[in-house]
Amino acid sequence: MNKPLFGLILGGILGVFDGLTALLSAPETRTQIASIVVGSTFKGLVAGLLIGFFARKVKSLPLCILFGLAVGALFAYFVTLGTPYFWKIILPGSVVGIIVGYATQKHQETPAVQKTAT
Amino acid sequence: MNGISDAALHHLREVADEPDLSGTPYEIVETLGRGGMGTVYLARDLRLDREVALKVVQLPEGTGDLERLLREARVLARLEHPGIVPVHDAGLLPCGRAFYAMKRVRGQQLDEYARAAPLPERLRAFERICEAVAFAHAHGVIHRDLKPENVMVGPFGEVLVMDWGVAKVAPHLVGAFCCSPSSPGDEGLGRGRSAAKLALMGARGEGSGGGTEAGTILGTPGYMPPEQERGEVDRIDERADVWALGALLGFLLKGKEPPPRPLEAIRRRAMATEPAQRYPQVEELAADLSRYLAGLRVDAHQETVLERAGRFVRRYRTPILLILAYLVMRVLLIFFLDR
Amino acid sequence: MDSRAGDRFPLTRRSVVEATRDADPDVRRQGWESLVASYWRPVYKVLRVRWRLDREDAEDLTQEFFASALVKGTFERYDPGKARFRTYLRTCLDGFAANERKAARRLKRGGGQSFLSLDFAGAEEELRRYGAGEELDVEEYFHREWVRALFGLAVEDLRRWSEATGKAVHFHLFERYDLEGPDAPERPTYAELAAETGLPATQVTNYLAAVRRELRRLVLERLRELTGSEREFRDEARLILGIDPVKSPGGPK
Repeated sequence: MNKPLFGLILGGILGVFDGLTALLSAPETRTQIASIVVGSTFKGLVAGLLIGFFARKVKSLPLCILFGLAVGALFAYFVTLGTPYFWKIILPGSVVGIIVGYATQKHQETPAVQKTAT
Repeated sequence: MNGISDAALHHLREVADEPDLSGTPYEIVETLGRGGMGTVYLARDLRLDREVALKVVQLPEGTGDLERLLREARVLARLEHPGIVPVHDAGLLPCGRAFYAMKRVRGQQLDEYARAAPLPERLRAFERICEAVAFAHAHGVIHRDLKPENVMVGPFGEVLVMDWGVAKVAPHLVGAFCCSPSSPGDEGLGRGRSAAKLALMGARGEGSGGGTEAGTILGTPGYMPPEQERGEVDRIDERADVWALGALLGFLLKGKEPPPRPLEAIRRRAMATEPAQRYPQVEELAADLSRYLAGLRVDAHQETVLERAGRFVRRYRTPILLILAYLVMRVLLIFFLDR
Repeated sequence: MDSRAGDRFPLTRRSVVEATRDADPDVRRQGWESLVASYWRPVYKVLRVRWRLDREDAEDLTQEFFASALVKGTFERYDPGKARFRTYLRTCLDGFAANERKAARRLKRGGGQSFLSLDFAGAEEELRRYGAGEELDVEEYFHREWVRALFGLAVEDLRRWSEATGKAVHFHLFERYDLEGPDAPERPTYAELAAETGLPATQVTNYLAAVRRELRRLVLERLRELTGSEREFRDEARLILGIDPVKSPGGPK
């Protein structure tokens, strides 16, 4: 699996969880949870993809983590606009960026092995 | 005469067995090893001032068409692959034996290497063996004597498949090569004393494609498939090497712990009694092993749901751990931010 | 006969085991003499070491064993299809020694009836110097001593070859490096041998290579004589020298 794809998938999964945790951190948003999860997932997918491309280009773990943090924080910042949940959004979003940055840099790109894969 | 001491007797037996290298540019330095099929010496090539491994083998009766054997040697000498020991020279000695000079390989035999190397490293070495053998197959050459003693592992983990002395060469390839002129890289093969030079690769009685007489048994017990053990020469094809590779894999899997089931399944399929039940080609065996190493499902093994789940977790261990770490962190954030 | 019956160059390259069955009594006797020359030492040693006979009894029994074999045609009855000749001979020896032991209980043998001139003192010296091979079973011990005898004869052949062909320096080098060298505290180097003989070092290498080739040929000739069949000859050659002599130009034709 290549790094951008890996970042995309990991970012997406973390995005889903990020969205769902709104049920715990801000129960009052329950009615909007579907759109929150979709938005959060989309944010995770895009951030993961970008971080994946970055990790492929730049072979440095610290830089990749820093890039992940920046992208995660930036995207989360856009989400915070117009909401009262600045830290509740910016912190988890940044952590997602850091995790994806770390994971994509560590991830070994393997050539496709023929036939049956799961 | 006061008799010969044990030490002198041992020495005399050795020197009496020394090949007659007069007329060749080689000089024996020491004996590297003896096998049932010949002796390998460390020799010095006086012409090029370098050390070579010199294998001296006895020519069997009825060696047959020497020209054909020479052509076979050419085919084998052209197997240029990092995993195959290059043959520099070949010829007939005045003492009636044949020799071939190869690159001197430094390293450990696979059996020694396997004693110390962890399983993943052993499996990677096995993958490289498969690559070399597959390359030879692609050039119409079947090794027929793959065993731990015939594989060397260099100091940097490089793998070299040695001793192609009982290799079988596809007839169509022998024909094809015989028409092409000698290249400078042949280093003497078929040139110079060409009349006297003959192939060594066929030195044990095997000929090309159908050169080995039916009923002739070549190879090593435990590392040759049933059809080879029965001397059914006509039935020997690439799948004979697949069987031997299975045996090699079994050797590499030996240890205190029983081998993982998918690996055992790969070994079993490679070593199926019927050639038709084996991997049809070495590439497929290697691909199945690569799938195992990549954490994918192997063709040879029907896995249970539990095994599948376990493999998934093993394969994606890092992301799974990261997701779990994220969730823990998230819970902690909720806890602290809401206080 | 003389213990150096094997000193002659072999008259033919045919098996002396076969010669013991020849219609011509002279050929038969010659074959028998060659067999004695090659086998008496291992026979004597087995009697001394494994049958624990004292020196005198072992000497007598060695003489009697070969004399009885000649009279009874023991070697003529050998069937190459069933066993190696040396195995056959050792089995005969065991049977003979067992019978003699029984007979000795009833009647003290006369002894001293030597009609073969064998160098028993030399064999005793070998026993003293090279041990009784306690770690080996009787078959292995017999084989080891037989190989020693075989090489002993071949080295004697080599000495005569060097004298006959004016290659005394060759043999001297061989003696110093290959015969004495393995037991010397420090084996001489080729350079030292070169200085000793006034030859260039490369010549020492060449001379030694030539003399070893000759030794190999002579060992194979002796072996050819002492084995009962072509197959046995090849098997023994493979066992002793690690080679298949069939294609060797130096080997028997």
